[in-house]
Amino acid sequence: MIRGGRNLVILGVVSILIAMMTTGISLAIYKLSGDIYLDRSVPGFLPDKQEIEEQPEEELDYEFSKSGPVTKEIISEFMDKFEIEVRALDSYSAPFDVDALSDEKLGIFE
Amino acid sequence: MSAIESGQKASIVDHCDEIRENLKNVQKKDRQTRVYLGRIYETVLNKFETPLNLRLVENNMSDANLLENQGKFAEERKAFMDNYVSYQQLLEETIAIDCKNEPEKFYDSLKLTRSGRKLLSRNVTKLRELITEQVKIVLHIKEIL
Repeated sequence: MIRGGRNLVILGVVSILIAMMTTGISLAIYKLSGDIYLDRSVPGFLPDKQEIEEQPEEELDYEFSKSGPVTKEIISEFMDKFEIEVRALDSYSAPFDVDALSDEKLGIFE
Repeated sequence: MSAIESGQKASIVDHCDEIRENLKNVQKKDRQTRVYLGRIYETVLNKFETPLNLRLVENNMSDANLLENQGKFAEERKAFMDNYVSYQQLLEETIAIDCKNEPEKFYDSLKLTRSGRKLLSRNVTKLRELITEQVKIVLHIKEIL
């Protein structure tokens, strides 16, 4: 009975160690693969509502059909929808501008 | 490697917490930008350019320039996504450095992060140029119909 209890404890400890090891490996892969930088479910990944300066435009639920005739009208429709995306892109001011990491912007002064 | 002025060094040590906080704010804004731009790039490629090329092929009207543009756009988008991950890793490493005690190391890391951001900025510019080119090609196709 005592031996059985000891085995149970060993089993529990080994199980915990295996779980910790596999979790550690998973987290390492998660970080090294770069998925962590794209995971929108990470707390604090996206700014809070009040922190959003530019409200992105509503997603366009449109997909150009892969099949069908190609006419001037079809191309015009394509362009109309496409321009909505282009405008949305241009409405975002200075994405990844280099200046954001300048000494001045970060508060490093000589 | 470090070419940090004594004034900069003193400033980093004195305002370490504030500088790191500013970097964290940049990181937060960058994530928002990545999500926003990433969605648009994906839409442009998968909901517009690729289906249009397929439709043109189906109608025996394939356009070599548009096909080439699609290839370049896909390649540049991939570079943008890869460079974003590398840049975020650099930024995170910079934020993790104790700038109070290691200002030189911090500044060297910051310089590397800036290089990463520059690459990302180039990707964004290139992708926008490819979109402009795409519009021109599609308008030309419309003209000759």
